[in-house]
Parts: sequence; C-alpha cells; structure tokens
Amino acid sequence: MSLSYFIRRCGYIVFTLLVVSLLVFGITQLLPGNAAVMLLGENATPEALAAVSSRLGLDQPAWLQYWHWLSGVLAGDFGTSLRTGLPVGPMIFGALGRSLLLAAAALLLMLAVAVPLGVVAALKRGRLADLLVSLVSYVGVSVPEFVTATIVLILLADPALRLFPASGYVPLGEDFWAGLHHLVLPVLTISVILVAHVSRMVRSEMVDVLHSDYVRAARLKGLRRRTVLIRHALRNALLPTITVVALDVGYLLGGIIVVEEIFAFPGIGRQLIVAIQARDLPAIQAGALVMAATYGLANFAADIAYAWLDKRIQYD
Amino acid sequence: MTEALARLLRSPQGALGSALLLALAVPVVAGPWLAPYDPEQFHFTARLLGPGPDFWLGTDQFGRDLLSRLLVGARSTVLMAVAATALGTGLGAVIGNVSAFAGGRLDEIVMRLLDAVMAIPGLLFALLIVTALGASELNALIAIGITFTPGMARIARSVALTVRKQDYVSAAIARGETQGYIVLREMLPNCVAPIIVEATIRVAFAVMLLATLSFLGLGAQPPSSEWGLMVAEARQFIFRNPWMIVWPGIAIAVVAVGFNLLGDGLRDALNPRT
Amino acid sequence: MPLPAQPPALQVSGYGLDYETPSGRFAALRDIDLSIARSEVLGLVGESGSGKTSLAFAILRDLGANARETGGSIRLAGEELTAKSTRELEAIRGRRIAMVFQDPGTSLNPTLPLGEQLAEVLRRHQGLSRRQAWREAEAALARVALKTPAEMMRRYPHEVSGGEKQRVAIATAFACQPDCILFDEPTTALDIITARQILELFERLQEETGVASLYISHDLALVSRIADRVAVIHRGRIVEEEPAAQVFSAPREDYTRQLIASVPRPDRRLVAPAPAAAAPLLEVEALTVRYGRDRLLDRLRGRASRQVEGNRAISLAVRPGEIFGIVGESGSGKSTLARALAGLNPFEGSFSFEGRRFARPAELDRAYRRAVQIVFQHPDSSLNPRQQIREILARPLRLYDAPGAASLAERVEALLAEVQLPADFARKYPHQLSGGEKQRVAIARAFASRPQLVICDEITSALDVSIQAQIVQLLLSLRERFGTTYLFITHDLNLIRQIAHRIAVMYRGDLVELVEVEALAAAGPRHAYTRALLEAVPTPVG
Repeated sequence: MSLSYFIRRCGYIVFTLLVVSLLVFGITQLLPGNAAVMLLGENATPEALAAVSSRLGLDQPAWLQYWHWLSGVLAGDFGTSLRTGLPVGPMIFGALGRSLLLAAAALLLMLAVAVPLGVVAALKRGRLADLLVSLVSYVGVSVPEFVTATIVLILLADPALRLFPASGYVPLGEDFWAGLHHLVLPVLTISVILVAHVSRMVRSEMVDVLHSDYVRAARLKGLRRRTVLIRHALRNALLPTITVVALDVGYLLGGIIVVEEIFAFPGIGRQLIVAIQARDLPAIQAGALVMAATYGLANFAADIAYAWLDKRIQYD
Repeated sequence: MTEALARLLRSPQGALGSALLLALAVPVVAGPWLAPYDPEQFHFTARLLGPGPDFWLGTDQFGRDLLSRLLVGARSTVLMAVAATALGTGLGAVIGNVSAFAGGRLDEIVMRLLDAVMAIPGLLFALLIVTALGASELNALIAIGITFTPGMARIARSVALTVRKQDYVSAAIARGETQGYIVLREMLPNCVAPIIVEATIRVAFAVMLLATLSFLGLGAQPPSSEWGLMVAEARQFIFRNPWMIVWPGIAIAVVAVGFNLLGDGLRDALNPRT
Repeated sequence: MPLPAQPPALQVSGYGLDYETPSGRFAALRDIDLSIARSEVLGLVGESGSGKTSLAFAILRDLGANARETGGSIRLAGEELTAKSTRELEAIRGRRIAMVFQDPGTSLNPTLPLGEQLAEVLRRHQGLSRRQAWREAEAALARVALKTPAEMMRRYPHEVSGGEKQRVAIATAFACQPDCILFDEPTTALDIITARQILELFERLQEETGVASLYISHDLALVSRIADRVAVIHRGRIVEEEPAAQVFSAPREDYTRQLIASVPRPDRRLVAPAPAAAAPLLEVEALTVRYGRDRLLDRLRGRASRQVEGNRAISLAVRPGEIFGIVGESGSGKSTLARALAGLNPFEGSFSFEGRRFARPAELDRAYRRAVQIVFQHPDSSLNPRQQIREILARPLRLYDAPGAASLAERVEALLAEVQLPADFARKYPHQLSGGEKQRVAIARAFASRPQLVICDEITSALDVSIQAQIVQLLLSLRERFGTTYLFITHDLNLIRQIAHRIAVMYRGDLVELVEVEALAAAGPRHAYTRALLEAVPTPVG
C-alpha cells in the first residue's frame, strides 16, 4: 500500500462524512413540527415562539443553520437535547460506548462461528454438512432481528426459568458476570443474521480457492493436508471476507437499533428511537451522524487493512 | 424464455423458491376471500387462544383470528416489499446507467456520492426518511425504495460497464450503429438479467425492513394486519400466547427465504452461457 | 554386456478414466500405454479436450470427485501408484514426482513470498530446518538462472515477471531431484522470447539431472524439437507414438497426418505473390494512441503524466489485395492499432482510406465503416449471447444495404453458406456453437457488407490448430472470391509467414521493422528484435 493510496482513502472518508452530515441535517430539516413549538407547547404565544426561534437560530437560512451545527459538531458540541435539556454529546458517546461493546461481542461470536461453518461447508461440498449449513444460512438471513429476538426471549428468558435477563444492562466494570449475563441475549440475536451471511461468503470464497491452481500446486508438492488448507487455502479465502464483514457492520448497526429497543439496552440505537419518538431534533441528528460515521470508519479501516494484507493489489 | 424457466425449475434453489412463492401468491391474490373470519372482528370469549378447531392458528388479545389476519396481511406485506424494491431498482438503474455512459468526471462524482450515501446503514437511513415523512405504510415504502437506490445504482453501473467492454458492443460501434441501437438492442438485454437477480434477492430484504419499520411503529399503523405490526402488537403477550409471534414470524421468514432462493436460482438460470 | 533390467521411471499401462457428468458418463482416457525411461523426454501432443491434462492429474493421483477410473496401472520406478493411500501419496508427490503448471500466474500462491513456496517443499520432504531450507532454496533459484536469488526469495508473485515466476515453479519441481516431472504446457502462457528462454532452461536442467519428463503441449513443432519420442493423443486415446524425428516425416495415422497438415509452416506459402504495387488502400500517418487519464492528485504533486502510449507515431501503407501481417508480443500495441482503425480508440495523427483522410474517430462515416470491418479474438465475447445467429447476421445486411431482391432470411442463409455453416444455424444461439463455428459467424458478419479491408485481430489464437487451419483456409477462399485485403494481426510467426505478403513487427508501441515476407525468407531480418523473435520460434522440421 502506498502513501498516496492512504491519502486518497483519507480524502474519501472526509468527503463521505461531509455528505453524510449534509444528508442527516437535510432529512431532519424536513421533520414536521417546529422545535420551538416542541419546547413551548401548542399554546405558546407567537411572540414567545419567535423569541425561541431566534434563540435557536431557526429563523436563519438553512445553510447557515447547517454551518452552525457542523462547526459545533466539529468542536464536539452536538447541541442540547430538547427532551432532557442536557448536552447531547456526552449522552450520545456514553451510549455509543455501550453499543460498541455489544457490536464487538457480536462480531467476535460471529467470526468464531461463521468461519468454521463456512470452511466445513466448503470442504464437504455437496454433502449433508454443506446442505445443513446452507439451509441454516438461508433461514438465518431471512429472519429479521425482531423475530429472532422474540423467539430468543420465549426460549431463554421465560420468567419462570430465569435463564437470562430479558432486558437491561449492567456495566462490566461494576459486576462482570452480571454484565456478561445481560449481554447474552442481545448478542445472540444480532449474531444470527451475521453468521448466516458471513458463513455463506466464507464458503463460496473457500470453494473458489480450493479449486485454484495454487492450492492444487500446493497439494501436488506433497504438502500435508493441514498445511495446504491453512497456509494456502484459508489465508486467501479469508482476505475478501474482511470487506464483507466491514459491510456487515452496516447490518449490525441496523440490527442494534432493533435489538436495543427490544432488550431495553441503553445504547445508541435505543437512544435514537427515543429521540425519534420525542422528535428531539439535536439528539436525532447526533445519533444518526455518529452511527453513520462509525460505519464509515469501519469500512475505511477494512479497506486499509485489506490493502495492507493483500500484497497483490498495487494501489497507486 | 421457456428454456430459462426449465433451467430455473431444475435447480433445487429455483424449484423450492418458486414453489414457496407460488404458495405465497395464493393469500396475496385471494387472502380476503379465503379468510374464515373478518380480520378485525373481536371474539371476546376466545382471546389469546392457541391453535384449535375454531381458530386454526389461534387468536390474539382481542380474540381476532390469527389465520385471517395473516391471510389479509399478506398483501400489504409482500406487495409493499415488491413495490419498494421496484422503486429502488428503477431509480438505481437509471442513475447507474447514466453514470456509466457519461463516464469520466461525472461518473466519478456520482459514484463517490453514492458511496457516501451508502455509508449510512440501511435501516438507519430508512428510519430517518420515515421520521421526516411521517409514519405510514406508503412512506415506509418510499423510504425503503430510496434506501435501495444507491446499491442498485452501483450494481447497474458495474453491469453496464462490464457489458460495454464486450466485443459485441465494440463490433456494433465499429459497424457504425447509433447510440440508441447499441444501448437498447445490444446492451440492455444483457444488463437486465443480473439486475433482476439482485432485485429478487432484495425483495427478501425489503420484506424484512418493512416489517422492522412497522415493528418500530414507523410503518403500517393499527389496525392493519401487516406482519411486522402483528409481531409488535404481540410483544406484551409473548409468554401468554407465543403463537401470536410465531405465525407472523414464520410468514416473514418464508417470504424472505422464498425470494432469496428464487434469486439464487435465477442467477444460474438467466446465464445464457450455461 | 546387458545391464540388469531397470524399470522405467514412469509407466502407464491399460489406463482408463471416465467423468461422471449430468448427461451421463464421459470417457476421458482409454487404453493409455506409455513409458518414460530415466533421462528421457516424452512429448504428449493433443488439442483441447483430448485428455492430455487429465492424464497428468491421473498420474499424480489428483482426480476430482466425479472421476471414475476404469482400470490400468501407473508405476513410478516400478512402484504401483494406484494402490497408494493419500498419506503415502503425500510423501511421494513433490519428492519423487513433480509437476509444472501452464500458468505461473495462477499456480503460485499470491499471498506467500516466492522463497517460502520453494522452501516449504524442502522442509517437507528433506527434513531441513527453516534456515537450511531457505539457503537451499536460494541455491535452487540460482540454478534456474535467476539473477538475484536472495532478493527473489522475499518477493511476492505479483512483483516479478511471468518468466521469473515460471523459473521459480521449475526450481520447485526440481528441488527434491524427483524421478519424473510432468510439464503441462509450461511456456504457453508466456511471451514468445520468454517462452524460448524457459524452454532452454528446461533442456539444460533435463540434461543435468537426467529426470524423466512428460512434456505436454498443443504445439507439435515445439514438442518434436525437445522430446525424444512424441505421443499424439486424440479423444482420450494415444493414437500414435513415434521417435520425435519421424513425427513430421513419417506419420502413420490419419489424425496425425491431419494435425501435421494444420501446423503452420513458413516454408509452405499459402498465397500467391503480392499483387503489383498500386496506390495504397490504407495509409496510416504518424498514428499515436494514448491510454489513461491524468489524476488530479498526481498533477498536484507534480508527477509525470500517467498516460501510456499504446502506439507511438505508427506509419504504414496497406496495398489493395494484399495480406498485411502485424506481429508482436502482448503489449506491443498491435491490437491498439487495430482498434484505432476500427474507430474504437481515440487517436492522434491520421490515416487515409482510398484517398480520404480521417483525423478523428468521429469522422469515420458509414462508407468507411462499411468498407472496413473487424473480427475479434474471442468469439465468445464478440457475439451477443442473447441474439440468434440470424439476428446477428441480419443486422449488418439491414444497416448497410438497400433491400435487394432476396429476402433477408435468404441472404442470411447465403452468408452462412459462404462460411460453410448449415442454414439451420440461423436459429441457434451463440452458446450452442463451438469456438470455431462462432468465429465463422463473426467472419460472416464482417463479410456481410462486402468490405474491402478486414482487420483480423488474433482471430485464430483462441482456437485449436486444426480449427485454425480451417479458419485460415476460409479466409483465403473468401479473399479469392471477393478480392478482400486483410490486416492480419497475430503473435504466431509461423502462421504469418505462411499467409502474409508483408509483415510489420511491433515492439512496445513502436513499429520496428516492415518487411516483405519473401525478402525475409531470403535475406533474414534486419532489426535485432525481429531476429530474436524468429530465433525464439520453433519451426517444424522434416
């Protein structure tokens, strides 16, 4: 990977974040209901409304509002929540931290399950194990998180059995085991779709690689089966999977919105839903921007990692 | 065409997917006539029932017949998903092809913009749009259509660029054919198949997104029997009558599996070289 | 004094192989008998689908799940391989029998350094430590005449040239001094001069080590030069085996004779001498084609332009009625020139056709496009897969011609007849045709407008040699009938010397030599590059 590729890629991510901020701001500007009305209630006098509007800058042209908002964001100021009256920034980043914990746990679980499943399916291609894996992945990608979540709840959170808590969050630092216990169901739920999708990708990459000339050449050099599989096949099959996993972070973040809502997990997704229901404009904008930025950065990191790992590609 | 259909039905995915979707077509077309009860009729003496002789799939908290609700809800769930995908595919195909043809700087700018838009996770994007437009089934459809547009545009563009590099297009250019002829007669027939395949698979995703939006209260509104909404309304009763969630959950999964299988089957069947 | 009988290094007897396919069993190999002694080279020649590569994998016991062996034995220095377990085979492969693949670009692992891929064989089979294996591997790279072995060890496949990659693959095959090595078209994926160097390396190592070699190729002329004996394989059977010197002079079987007749030979010209010099039909003046676009970032950083010149100021003149050959290796710019003349590449400079001058692709009008047609290399890609043959052929008829007396269907039929295809092909789709048939359709499409000049861009290089001979015959008979001029682009020096009147040699975008074929035969080449090319190509002997 050359320096100029890195610089170019950095340019793209800045551009991407700029477009995302414009979109988030633009879409939320369309929101019905004026923020001033929200604050003061329907019965406020026109004079009071006008005063609040000018204090919030709502009477300014849209591009100027965007500029104020963006420069605030760049300085770390995401505005004040209309709902709670507190600064949005700390609220959002606290929630983001908890959500990232959830996401990281789900990604780890996914990798631990999906890679072996995909590899086994590829090795047993056309046989029962392959059929089972592909059946599981067809069903897995077809069940939305909210259905999975309720099934998981019915099976594992029955109040009579008390296997796992149905909702809530305990910081790992406070009580590690209780915290872990609370993570199980949400993590399990989000992982299903990811496992289904990634295991399919790993399978198809692995099938391709196993048919490649260089794997055949490795076999015909008399290398041991294990060496051929791990050193020659798996390495090459997992490379493209990096990109897929990064794209799946998008699904993951979407899934997080639903799962946090269902399991009452105080992450960024739940905060966003609460903000949407309360029409809390600054909180919606901040939540959406931070989520999109997280996804954008994940893809950026994956691209850089890929360019660094894959020696073939000469990015210039 | 018949040849492609025969190939589709020969592949296990294609056959199974077609069978599932044919079965699904029955409630979509004739759901309201097949339903044994009015889906909105309350039966106060028969609330939260499991499957039984009177109510085959059971009843909800108001004693409404689950089977009837599912049958009637099929239309709004499936047709909406298909319409949303069609919207996204149409918009995406236009943007992708125009960009591919224009080439050069414009193409680069359009693609960078689409990449940037795709940096917003799908559900989040749809959520924002619905929030701005207001919660309703139609707005959910529009939101999903718009969410799908950048991805479809990228695919349409890459297909168009691949086809444009083929020698039969070069041959047409060398022959002195008009732009219109080259696009419509040489390129389009070869671009359509991969886009259809992708769109089919996306219907599965649209079904899930639509149901999710309804589940979050931003899509279909009560008393609709859209399947996602049925699940949302059943949440309070999951331990008293799990069937209320199981049936619509299965229904959503079957639709999504059906479209996923059909898409994979079509991918092989529509390739003229095999 | 008779030596004690030593078993041959490799002996295959009575071997047969089927493949299980959805439409039933397909016989890939039948009654294969062959034997290679130490220090001997057996050439195995066959066209695509003849089973020659299947035989290599059968010998190495690396068969797909759908392979069914029907019997026979494969012995390596007397030891039966068909009875070996996977574990026993793992210990034999790479140590006692090795293989060199056709394309070093795909047979080396792209994510491992070259040295690792060589050293791992030594560690596996010779029990060397990591460090010993590395040192030994470096020495092996030196033996295949790689200039900087130590540096080469650390490089990745994409960082070295195709010839260097193939040298590494050959070093790997020779690393453990095996009894026998199978070479599967080891020079086919390489450029002419590189191929020659690899061939010389093969001959030297073969001599030094005395390894028994099975050299598989489609190129009869090449094999007859390097092998001791040549076996010809056709539809899964070895139809003939001869000492190499006699294959060309005394073939016994019909198939071999037909194959030999198809091999292009410069000493058997297929065309009459060039027509008398007249005003040129096509005159190219200082034509330059550039690829690529400047990047904003590069310009800001003051980097040199990234534009690549596909052609640099090419000038040449094609006379009416002649066959004008353009030869060169890949990347020489010969196809770039063809595409520019067909209006597919933007160009600088100009060219004139029948006295009319064109300086931009936009100036190429219908009359020019009608008079100048192009046929492409890959028939798979040049016929629209969603159109029937009749649509493909009717289009130029409709585009260029006023409606005549004959109906369109009749004229399509006539076109098919011109390229010797049956009339019922009109209703077929391209994927239902073989490669040669597809190329005939592409030729028919080009001749629909009764062109004066047809540009043939490597039109036979994707085809088997016997199909190539038929296509060349077809072109010559069409020329006889219509007096067409050809611009014939190829990398096959034997073929071009057989059919062209004049040859332009291209090298890295430049035209380095333009020569009459008869003068070339009499006086030899003037330019060093042309000489290198000619020396690199084996011509048939006998």
